[in-house]
Amino acid sequence: MSSVELRKVDKHYAGYHALKAVDLRIEKGEFVVMVGPSGCGKSTLLKTIAGLETINSGQVVINGRDVTREEPGDRGIAMVFQSYALYPHMTVAENMGFGLRMAKRPKAEIDAAVKRAAQILRLEEQLDKRPKQLSGGQRQRVAIGRAITRSPEVFLFDEPLSNLDAALRTQMRVELSSLHAQLGSTMVYVTHDQIEAMTMADRIVVLNKGRVEQVGSPLELYANPANIFVAGFLGAPRMNFIEARVETVGAGEITLTAAGMPALAFGGIDGLSAGDAVTVGIRPENLHLVEAANARQASFPGQVRLVEHLGRETVLYLDASPLQATNSDSGTGNFTVQLNKVSPISVGAQLTAGFDLADAYLFGPDGRTLTPRKPVPAT
Amino acid sequence: MYPRPIPEDAKIKRGLYVGGVTLVVALWLLPLIAVMLTSIRSNEELMAGNYWGWPQKFSLIENYTAVFEQTAMLRFFLNSLLITIPSVIGVLILSTLTGFVLSRYPFRGSNLIFALFVGGNFLPAQVMMIPVRDLMVRLGLYDTVYALIVFHIAFQTGFATLFMRNFIAALPGELFQAARAEGASPFQVLRHVVVPLVRPALAALAILTFTFIWNDYFWAIVLTQSDAVKPVTAGLNNLRGEWTSAWNIVSAATIFVALPPVVMFFLMQKHFISGLTMGAVKG
Repeated sequence: MSSVELRKVDKHYAGYHALKAVDLRIEKGEFVVMVGPSGCGKSTLLKTIAGLETINSGQVVINGRDVTREEPGDRGIAMVFQSYALYPHMTVAENMGFGLRMAKRPKAEIDAAVKRAAQILRLEEQLDKRPKQLSGGQRQRVAIGRAITRSPEVFLFDEPLSNLDAALRTQMRVELSSLHAQLGSTMVYVTHDQIEAMTMADRIVVLNKGRVEQVGSPLELYANPANIFVAGFLGAPRMNFIEARVETVGAGEITLTAAGMPALAFGGIDGLSAGDAVTVGIRPENLHLVEAANARQASFPGQVRLVEHLGRETVLYLDASPLQATNSDSGTGNFTVQLNKVSPISVGAQLTAGFDLADAYLFGPDGRTLTPRKPVPAT
Repeated sequence: MYPRPIPEDAKIKRGLYVGGVTLVVALWLLPLIAVMLTSIRSNEELMAGNYWGWPQKFSLIENYTAVFEQTAMLRFFLNSLLITIPSVIGVLILSTLTGFVLSRYPFRGSNLIFALFVGGNFLPAQVMMIPVRDLMVRLGLYDTVYALIVFHIAFQTGFATLFMRNFIAALPGELFQAARAEGASPFQVLRHVVVPLVRPALAALAILTFTFIWNDYFWAIVLTQSDAVKPVTAGLNNLRGEWTSAWNIVSAATIFVALPPVVMFFLMQKHFISGLTMGAVKG
């Protein structure tokens, strides 16, 4: 068990700044998930911890020891790859014992370690098979087993579940979480799947364009995104964003206007002046259908373009023009409304959607969140 | 697009196709058939001018025993093995090492070195005849098997490096990262990961270089002189000098000389296991 610390880690590829002064501290025994869109640098960051990528400046510290110049094999890490990276010419047992064999450990020790890992991962029956005789889920377990046998201080996972089908992925998610509980090791996990991030992480690190956008517990990040990027990245369906303009700045209250909607009044917001372009964010589950406009709620009319029945939930896509929303799930002009019930509403229906201003987020011209902290549900 | 199968019901097209293929195969095999036929005829029959007809008398045993009893072919054959086997082993070892480094450990100038390996193949070997002969004389290797071994290793390694580099570069990169993350040294990666996975390539390369070196005639006559050193190709020419009219013996010796590459092919065939890398990564 070890802590991992990144200090001002910078990485350039030819003409491309992959990591920009990344500072991050991962505590002993923590399960940290790094998420972000493709090309945000999350895999590069993981390989930096592993030592498979060299860095241009900064330090990588594992358990208080500066390992920046050390080979991956000396860092006390084990990595699980997206493609599993099993050696096809070796049996499952040989694959799992590879690291110890390379370190020239006694055969009895290797056998014991392989046996223990196989027990944890329920692979005892498969030990003499070759990787190509195994199913995808079994291969992934062998890859994890290969990491376990070396009893590393830190486990690194690079999108380990993305090659599995949906049902298997859910199962492996649970298995990985219980593995973490069982071994108590520090685990760093990279994914682009926010469900994996929300369900497995002690803390989530959101990365974008080589920079850490925010670090925090899953529910903290969901309730209090630091900026418009994190707000848009976490949550499915995505948050609705409304482009608006600051109309008046009064004592303790500002008013905003957006075409197609009555003026909105927000309290407790500083640092804006009249004319500033801001963005109002509202999660699809916080948009409700309302009978008629009332003063406590912001509301706007719209027409249903698409209905998705997900069983317990119904997702409506609204065209609310002239009100403009920027929402990459559905395109400009569309709002996403999530109802926690089966709804008889069908395509073409005219309705009014509204939301409590207390549920809304306000993002400044630089994208930072301006609304006060929202309470995080206790777990 | 091509090749498109010819439909079963197009009888004329199919007939033309099968006929064409048969003709090409027959033309291709004709010299070999001629040599085989000649190798089982008696000398009298050849003198009488029966080159293509059915042999009146089969002299298979006589001719092939004559190769061993009346000529030095066995000596030449051993010389060829002494030259070819170490050369092939040398080429395989060197090209695996260079291919591994050039594909996985790029360094400043590695592309230039690779270009030299590849470019060397375009140089006509005959241009180097006199310098290479002089070099061997000065090294004191002229007219020894070592002259040919050194030359063949040097000359074949260029192509072999290209071959191995491309094969190793096509292996999944994550296998190398995984091995490195598990603390394997570059030499351990080579031994435990690369070599087992490139066995099919090594087998193919072994056959190719074996055939090239075994069949080499030019360098054999440039770099050797005495019968004690000559490989079979140069030895066959000797035979022609001594036995001008005994074409049946020469043919029998030729068949004998042509056998090792064929044997080599069947020996290596079992290593051509397709899809050896399957299961390494997703799929």
